[in-house]
Amino acid sequence: MSEHFVERARYLCSLGGAAATITALPGAIPILHSASGCAGNFAWTQNGGSGLQVGGYCGSLTVPCSNMQESEVVFGGEERLREQISNTVKVMDGDLYFVVTGCVPEMIGDDIFAVVNDFCDEGVPIIGASTGGFRGNSYWGYDLVLQALFKDYLEKGLPKVKGKVNLWGVVPYMDPFWRGNLTGARRLLELLGLEVNTFFTPDSTLESVKKAGEAELNVVISDIYGQGGARLFEERHGTPFLTQPLPVGPSASSEFLHAVGTQLSLPESLIEQVIDGEKQRYYKILEPLTDCWNDLDLQRYAVVVGDGNYAPALTRFLADDLGWLPELTVCTDQVREDEQQLLANRVARLSSGFTTNLVFETDTSEVVNHLNRHWPRSRGQKYYNAFSPAFVVGSSLERELASSIGAPHLSVTFPVTNRAVLDRGYTGFDGGLRLTEDLLSAVIAAR
Amino acid sequence: MSYLDNKIPPKREDRLQAVIAHSDSICGLAKKGKSKSCLIDDGERGFTQGSICLLLPALAMLNTLPDNVVLLHSALGCGSCTHSQNANVRIGSNARQGKAKDGIWLSTSLDESDVINGGETKLERAIIEADRRYRPATITIVAGCVPGIIGDDIDGVAQNLQSQVSARLLPVHCEGFKTKIWATAYDAVYHTIGRNLLVERGVSDPKPEDELKVLQEQERLNRTVNLMNVSSMGRIDEQELERLLTGIDLDVNVFPVFSHPDSFIKATRAALSISTCPTHDDYFLGYLQERFNVPAIIRHMPIGISNTSLWLRDVAAVFGAEEQVERLIAAEEAELHGALEEFRPTFSGKTVFVSAGEFRALATAKLLQEIGFEVVGIRSFHHDEFANSEYEKLAADAKSDYVVDIANVQPFEEANLLKRLKPDLFLGHANGNMTAAKLGIPTHVIYNTGLAYIGYRGVYEIARRLYRQLKNPAYNRNLAENIRLPYSEEWYKTEPFAYINTRGRAVNE
Repeated sequence: MSEHFVERARYLCSLGGAAATITALPGAIPILHSASGCAGNFAWTQNGGSGLQVGGYCGSLTVPCSNMQESEVVFGGEERLREQISNTVKVMDGDLYFVVTGCVPEMIGDDIFAVVNDFCDEGVPIIGASTGGFRGNSYWGYDLVLQALFKDYLEKGLPKVKGKVNLWGVVPYMDPFWRGNLTGARRLLELLGLEVNTFFTPDSTLESVKKAGEAELNVVISDIYGQGGARLFEERHGTPFLTQPLPVGPSASSEFLHAVGTQLSLPESLIEQVIDGEKQRYYKILEPLTDCWNDLDLQRYAVVVGDGNYAPALTRFLADDLGWLPELTVCTDQVREDEQQLLANRVARLSSGFTTNLVFETDTSEVVNHLNRHWPRSRGQKYYNAFSPAFVVGSSLERELASSIGAPHLSVTFPVTNRAVLDRGYTGFDGGLRLTEDLLSAVIAAR
Repeated sequence: MSYLDNKIPPKREDRLQAVIAHSDSICGLAKKGKSKSCLIDDGERGFTQGSICLLLPALAMLNTLPDNVVLLHSALGCGSCTHSQNANVRIGSNARQGKAKDGIWLSTSLDESDVINGGETKLERAIIEADRRYRPATITIVAGCVPGIIGDDIDGVAQNLQSQVSARLLPVHCEGFKTKIWATAYDAVYHTIGRNLLVERGVSDPKPEDELKVLQEQERLNRTVNLMNVSSMGRIDEQELERLLTGIDLDVNVFPVFSHPDSFIKATRAALSISTCPTHDDYFLGYLQERFNVPAIIRHMPIGISNTSLWLRDVAAVFGAEEQVERLIAAEEAELHGALEEFRPTFSGKTVFVSAGEFRALATAKLLQEIGFEVVGIRSFHHDEFANSEYEKLAADAKSDYVVDIANVQPFEEANLLKRLKPDLFLGHANGNMTAAKLGIPTHVIYNTGLAYIGYRGVYEIARRLYRQLKNPAYNRNLAENIRLPYSEEWYKTEPFAYINTRGRAVNE
C-alpha cells in the first residue's frame, strides 16, 4: 500500500457517495453545490462500477448542480446556490431536496446551511450536508447523508414501537448488489416477525423514513459503513444499535438471526425454529448439487478481494458454508486501525476452523505480491503443492490477477464492470444459494 | 509566441469565444455564421444540471496511452470515471495490441490537511513512488479543482523532479471550475504532448550512406498522414478511415490514442494531419503546422455520405489524387445507396432529435437527413465558429426552421422540448438518452467506441442499428408507461429556454 497515492481507488469521494445515496432515497432530489464535472464523474463511475446501474429517479446528468465557475470561486457561491435552489423547487418534482457540497464551495468557505435554512423557513422540504470530496471517500459520504437525515429529517420524540427496526450498512451503488442485499437481510428480520425500514429499497417511502425514530433497534450490517449515523441516531432518538457483519449464506444468517433476536429478547424457541426451517430449505435445495460437486471436484482455493463488508463476509461463506479454502483475504478499503481490528475479528474464528490470511491493501497491483508472499510460487521443483485449483472472487479489476494464476473469477465487489446487476443479492440463506450458483457457473463456464 | 510557450493552455471561452447557453434555430445559426459578426454572447442559466468537466475527456485520452500512468492530483473522487473508461481501454488495447489491458490510474487523494498545508510534497513523493513501482514511459500529472484553488504548482513539481525519475513527467491542467467548455480537455492534453513529447527519443533513423533506405523512408513519409483520434472513434471507425485513405495510397499514423508516447515524434514528420473534428484538434494542428511545417486539414467530419466524400476530396487534393478519389467516391456511394434502399421505407418521413458535441451532432443530423429522416431539433453541447459551415449545410436541406439548443447537456430543456416536438427517434450521447427513453421515444447512442459511425461503412451500420431500434422500441415504451421523469408539471408548461439569462433576474416566463 502506498503512503502517497491510492491506486485505482474503488470508491469515489464523499460527495460521490452522498449523491448516490440520495438518488436511492424515494422521491429525493439531490442538489449538488459543486463544480460542473462532479455529476458526470459519478455517472461514468456508476456506469463502470455498479453493475450497469446509473442514476435512478433523479441521478446521472439529471441532478441539479450549481456548476460553480471561477466567478463563484472569487466572489463566493452562496448567491448562486440560493438561485439554484429556488429554481430547482420550481423545475424538479421532489418530496425532499438535499443539498450536498463538493470541494470547491468548501474550500472557499460557502455557508450552505445559512441558505438551506432560509428555504426551510419558507416550508421547502430541504436539508443539507457538507460532503466536500477531500473529507473522505464515498462510504463516508453515505454516512454523512444518513447523519443529516437522522438529524434534520426524522420526526423527533416519537414513541418506540415494539417490533420495528431500521436496517442499513449497505451503500447504494458502491455495493452493486445493494438492493438485493438490503432486501435479503430484511427478509431475515421479517422471519422473526419484525417490521423493517430499509430506506433505499423500491418499497420504501419518505413517510417511513420520517418515522424511523419509532424503531426499537437499529441494525447496521457493516462494521464500518453507517456507524456514525448509528451513533448519532442513538443520541438524537434514543434507539440503540446492533452491528452485525453482512449476513451472506446460512452460517452468517443464522448468527445474524440469533444476534438480533437475542438483542430484542425474542423467545429462543422462535429464533431456533426460524433458523432450522431456513437451513432445511437451504440444504434441500443444495442436495442435488452433490454428485456434480464431487464428480467435477468443485472445491477451490480462493483469493477474496473486497470492501470492508464483502471481504470478511465472502471469506466466511467460502470457508464455513461452501467448504472452499480462501487462503488470502484482501480488504481494499482505507480503514483505521481500530476498524482493521473489527474486520479481523470477523474472520479470526471461523466455524470451519479454517484460517485466512487477511491483509489491508488499497492498490490492485499489489494483490499478487501478497499472494506470492503467502503462497510462494513454484521454483521448478518436481513435486510442488500449487495454489490450484484456485478461484478469484473480487472486483472486475481482479481479472488480470485471475488470468495470471489461471483461475476463474467472479466480480462481486465494486467495481463490477462485467456483470449486469438489478436486484440480485447475496445476503440471507437465499443469497448463499445465489452466490454458489454464480461461483460454480464461473468454474464450469467452459464445460 | 505560441500558446504552448505558456504553462497552462487558454480556455476555449477566451480562445474561441465558445458558448454553452444559447437558444436559436438552424436558419438563425446558419445566418449568423455567414455574417462577419458571427460571435454570440454566452448566456447563463439560472437553473442548471450537472454535466462533465474537462477532466473526463482528458482522462479518456490519457488512459489509453500504453505505458503511461495517470496520476491525479486532486481529491479522491476525481478520476473515478476511469472505471467506465477502463472498459474502453481494455477493448481498445485488445483490438489494437491483441491483449486486453487495464489502465493504471492513481490519486494523491488530497485531504483536509493538504488543503490547508498544500499538496506539493505529497505529489513529489507520489511521483517518485509511481516511477519506481510501475516503471512507466510517462506519468501524466493531472490537476483537478483542489490544486487549482490551493495553488499547487504541478509544472514546477514536474520540472524539479524530472531529473530524478526515468518516466517523462507530463503536467495536464484539468481544474474543472476554470472552464465551462469541456472541449478545453483536448487542448489540455495536446498542450502537454506538444510541450514534452515531440522531441527525438531513441528513434533509429537509417544511416545516410544507406541511400535506398533513406529514399524509401522519405517516400513513405511523403505519403504518411496523421489521422487524429482523441477517443471519439473506436478501432472499427479507424479501420474504415484507414481503408479509405489506403484507397488513395496513403499510409496512416493514428494519433494520439493508444499510441505509445515514445512514438509521438512520428506525428511531426508526416506529410499531412487530418482531423475528423475541429472541436478536437484545432489547437494541436495549428501547433504542428507552425512548429513542424506539417500542414493540416480541419473541416468536415466524415460522418454521413456527403461529409465523408467532402473529407476525402480535401485529403486527395493535397496529394494530387483528385481523379483517383472521384472513382473511389463514386463506387462507394453507389454501393452504399443501393444497400440503404432496404431501410428507406422505414425511415422516410420520421422525425428525429439529435444531441451531442457540436460537430458530431451536426454531422450526424446531416447523415440522418441523407437516409430519410427529418431533423426537428438539435442540441449542441457548445458552439464555436468552426461549426458555422455545418449549420449552413443543414439549413440548406431543412424542411422547416427547427430549434437548436446550445447546452452542456441540461436534460430539463430537452425534456420540455421533446414533450412539444414528440420526435419519432432520438440520438444522444453517453448518459444522454435516458430522458428520451423515459418519454418512450426510440433512442440510439450517438457515440460508443465499440460501434461503427464513421465513413461509408458507418452510415450503413448506423442505418442498420436504427432500423433495429425502430423495429421494436418496446423497452422505452414500457419504461414510459411505468416511470416518470423528475420534472414538475409546471415546468412542461413553461417556455423551454426560460432559464437562460436569468441569473439574478426573475424567470422569463
